[in-house]
Parts: sequence; C-alpha cells; structure tokens
Amino acid sequence: MITELPVELDPSSWLAIANSASETDVHRAMATTSPDEADFAALVSPVADGLLEDMAQRAKHLTESHFGRTISLYAPLYLSDYCPGGCAYCGFAADRTQPRRRLERDEMIREFKALKAMGFEEVLLLTGERSPKADFPYLSDAVAEAAKHFSAVAVEAFPMTTPEYRELAAAGCVGVTLYQETYEPVQYQALHRWGPKRDYANRLDAPSRVLEAGMRYVGLGALLGISNPMFDTLALYRHARLLRRQFWQSGITISFPRVCPQEGGYQPPFLVDERFLARIIFAFRICMPDVPLVVSTRENAKFRDGIAGVGVSKMSIASRTTVGGYCEPATSPDGQFQVIDDRDVATFFTALRAKGLEPVFKNWDRVYNLGLI
Amino acid sequence: MNVDNKFILGGQEFQSRLLVGTGKFSSVEVMLAAIKASGAQLVTVALRRFNLERPSDDLFSPLVRLGVTLVPNTSGARNAAEAVRAAMLGRELSGSRFVKVEIHPNPHHLMPDPLETYEACKQLAKAGFIVLPYMPADPVLAKRLEDVGCAAVMPLGSAIGSGHGLSTAEMIKLIIADSGIPVIVDAGIRAPSEAAAAMEMGCSAVLVNSAIAAAGDPVAMAAAFAQAVKAGAAARQAGLMAQSGHAVATSPLTSFLAGIPA
Repeated sequence: MITELPVELDPSSWLAIANSASETDVHRAMATTSPDEADFAALVSPVADGLLEDMAQRAKHLTESHFGRTISLYAPLYLSDYCPGGCAYCGFAADRTQPRRRLERDEMIREFKALKAMGFEEVLLLTGERSPKADFPYLSDAVAEAAKHFSAVAVEAFPMTTPEYRELAAAGCVGVTLYQETYEPVQYQALHRWGPKRDYANRLDAPSRVLEAGMRYVGLGALLGISNPMFDTLALYRHARLLRRQFWQSGITISFPRVCPQEGGYQPPFLVDERFLARIIFAFRICMPDVPLVVSTRENAKFRDGIAGVGVSKMSIASRTTVGGYCEPATSPDGQFQVIDDRDVATFFTALRAKGLEPVFKNWDRVYNLGLI
Repeated sequence: MNVDNKFILGGQEFQSRLLVGTGKFSSVEVMLAAIKASGAQLVTVALRRFNLERPSDDLFSPLVRLGVTLVPNTSGARNAAEAVRAAMLGRELSGSRFVKVEIHPNPHHLMPDPLETYEACKQLAKAGFIVLPYMPADPVLAKRLEDVGCAAVMPLGSAIGSGHGLSTAEMIKLIIADSGIPVIVDAGIRAPSEAAAAMEMGCSAVLVNSAIAAAGDPVAMAAAFAQAVKAGAAARQAGLMAQSGHAVATSPLTSFLAGIPA
C-alpha cells in the first residue's frame, strides 16, 4: 500500500521552480526579509551553487543574530539496537547479523555518567523500531533515569501515540527527533522492506502528535541520498512550515543526515555532495532564521568546522553509535552509521574557539520541564 | 526620566543606565571584557546557562566575581507557572532579588506573552522580587504591570536579535508618558545611536545584548554603547530644542486681533 504525500506537503510544483530558477531569483531570495516557498526553491536550485559564498555570508549574519557566537552541544546515546525494521540503508536492520543488545538500568547509568564526565548536558536517547526488547515502557524508564542526570533529554526512537508522547514529556523528555527518511512515498515503500516502519503515513503524522502532546520541540530531517534530495529538501521545508503554523508554541529543529556510499554497504541512489549539503543548510537558515539547524558526526571535521556558526547552531561530538559505546572502547565497528568526525571534545572545542565560537553544554534547565500544557 | 534624575530600581540607585545581557558571546572572556567596557551594573543571565556542576560551561560564577548585580532571567518559560518556578530557583542560586521575567511561548520569534507575563509578575512582586518584565510595547499592559508592583517595565524595541531598532518608538513614547516606574527598552537595538535615541525619548535605561555580542569587536562596541547611553541621557536632561516643521509666515495670521485687550 502506497500512501500519497498530503497535498500540503507535496513539493512537486516547487520542484520545477527549484530546477529552473535564475541567479536573479536567488539574489532576490537572499535579499528579502520575508522569504516564501518560491524563495526557498530558488535558494536550493542548482544555479544557487554559483552563489554559495553570498549565501554563506547571509546565513552567517542570520545565525549570529539569532544564535549568537555559540554552538549548542548534544550527544547521541544508543539504548538498544534491537530492531524489527527492514530499512535497506540501516546498519541495525533486522537482516543484519550482528548480535543485539540493550542497556539495562545500571549500564545506562554508567553511560550517562561517562557522558556527564565529558561535560554533556543534553542527551539524545536512541532505539530501533518498537520491539518487545525496546518498547515504550523501556524507553520511558530510560528517559526518567536520564532526566536525573541531564538538563535536557531528547529521544530518537519509533513513532508513538499522542498519549505516549505526553507520558514521555512527563518523564522529562523535551524533544523528539523523527526523520521521515524520505518524503517520496514510492521510494519510501521500496526502502522500508518490512516491519512497522513500512507505515509511511503513521511516521509522517508523528511529528504532529509529538507537538500535540506538548513536547518542547520536534526534530525533522530526511536521510539525504536515499531518494531525490531536491524533492526531500522541499518537502522537509514544507513540513517544517506547516508544523510551525499549526503548533505556534513549539520548536522545530532540522538535521541534515546524509548517506555516503560505503564499501560493501548500502549504495545510495543519489549522490549528495558537500556543496549541495551546504546549499540547503544555507537555504534553511535564510528562510527559517530562527530554527536550530543540526549537523552530526556523520560529516567530516573540515565540513563541520566550516559550517559551524555559518548555518548550523547545534552539533554533536565524540559520538558513539554502538550500544554501550561510551564505556566500552570500540569492540565492534558495527554502529548504526560510521562516525566520520571522531575528534574528542577538547579537540573540537579548540577548533570552535579558533573560529570565535563558544561551545555550550548547558542551554536548558530542568525547571522548565514540569509545566507542560 | 525621574524628576530627581536618578535611576532607581528596587530601592537601589544605579549610576549606569546601560544593562547588558550575557548570551551569544564567542567566549566567557570576551563577555567579561565587554561587560567591563560597558560599565553596566545590572547584568542579565539566563537561568538555563547556570551550570554550577561545570564551571567551564557556567555563566553565573564568573559574573559573580565581576561584582555586578545579577538579574536572572526566565528565558525558556512558556507560561507563568514555569517562569515563577524558574525565578524562585534563580533567586536561590544567585541570591539576587532581581528577576527579568521573560515568557515567550513561541520559541522562534520569542515575542513575550502578555497574559502570562502579567500573571507571573503579579505573583513574583508579591513574593518580594524586584520584577523587570520583558513585554510587548503596549501602554496599557505597562500600566497594568506597574499596578501589580513591577519595579520597571521593559518594552521591546523590536524582535530579539533582529537589530531592527526602535520600531515600536511611538508606543514606547506613550508608555513613558504615563509611567510611574522606569522604562527600559529591551531587545532589537543594533546601533549605539538607537540606544541614544531611546534615552533622548525619555527611557530610564536600555538593555543591550546581541548588538554587543555579535559586533565585530564586542568590547569596543560595549564601550560605544556606554557613551551613547550617557550622551542620550545627558541630552534628555539638557532639553532638546523644539522641532519646527513649519516656516514662520511673513504676515502674522493674528493681525485682525490687534487692539483687542488680551
């Protein structure tokens, strides 16, 4: 069963603009103080590639105005790699042969303490798709435990119901990240070969449920490269705009995960190079100047140092993508994805400071977690 | 401006009429140097940037050492209940009775919620805080906040971080005209000339953060703001000459009244 992309998210009519914009359109989009969808389409268009430096200048100015010369830091923490899902591109898919495990409470606490010792105050807890080993009660307990240690706890797991999201917020969760992976329904169905994640519509609707439940923010993204990246970028923009209008009291963050071709691994059908990635980050910054934009350690140090403070305001560092990875030094290379920027906190801080950027661990306080609507 | 030309908040007199914020700086060292250069005596700091567990990431402790009066703010609160709780915690951690009430339910444009701000200020003033509310530039709300015991009102010049200056100037003038408490313009100021303009208009003080933190040279910009605020206040005190928009008619218009006893 293939669900259609709802008309309010369908970027088809903007795709044509994005592919035929002129330099004048791009200049106009950069100059306006009230950008619309046509401006966004112009900024992500191929012709904008020739104006990357101008876009970067504009983006940096806006990033500084809204986020200052700071970079907020977070760390991902894998609770479990059990997964009934069949995502063709994922290192944790059910047909991968690696042994599975989940953290028990004492192991979680050990991991939390390891991250705290590095300085982190915001943790992103991850699991695979909903499974008996990593179900909602397990996740909810993990959030409650993490909230004792960190100022901000966020979750990247499986789509939930509104009451579940409400319960998660009550346990101390401030944000939920849930990537649609691709907004293109046919490609979505082809890549999600089996398991609960085949339900495209349920996943697409989940960010609305997150915000309906009173969560502080929802993190959106598309896994760039698994489908037409232009289509996904435009749909992602439309999704973010729609959610802002519907949930005016909630925050949105946008991430830019990219799949790179890997030896022996999944070969993405579309190549997303760093110029394209930079272009869409600048386009989001120019059209949504107040939305935190996030880049993880999937990207290399040179790109991350370059984009920090220019478009991006929130980053992870010293990440481990294996379960228990912060306490158990690399016994297995089988993380969910390969960490490319593998610098430690101190080295990354030195690089940020050399750029005149202040890394910030704590930018939230638990005191704001209790009064949810 | 107060008749006796003093800037008094919560019973304390302050010499500097420039308040500064502490977010968005490229390093704690730059922030501290900028505050020194600004001569500010009142400094706002977000409770969420308090990190007593980790001094290297903490904004609070270095400010204490600087000897300024801290004004914890409730940035992050979406409603009155959260702001009140944050204020209580801020007072406990900082020992300061000052609080800048910031309630912005929309995390993107950060516009203050007038209803929740009013409710929080009412409760906090009762609880003995020196309450400084960040508020929309609304003259009626300003009087309402004065009535519930706020020590000052802080209408926005334009959106936080926008650098759009005093786009609410006409409303701010109405607030000043009726206010029995200091009016401090907060948010939106980009250039020292705008801070001077706010002071000339009759504001008691100005709060600046982004314009200093995001300047090419934050320390030099802080010093420039200090001078501008002083110049604006002095100009206000000196009395600006009246604006004249009309040419004086060569033939008097009231000659027909000549000879009639006044």
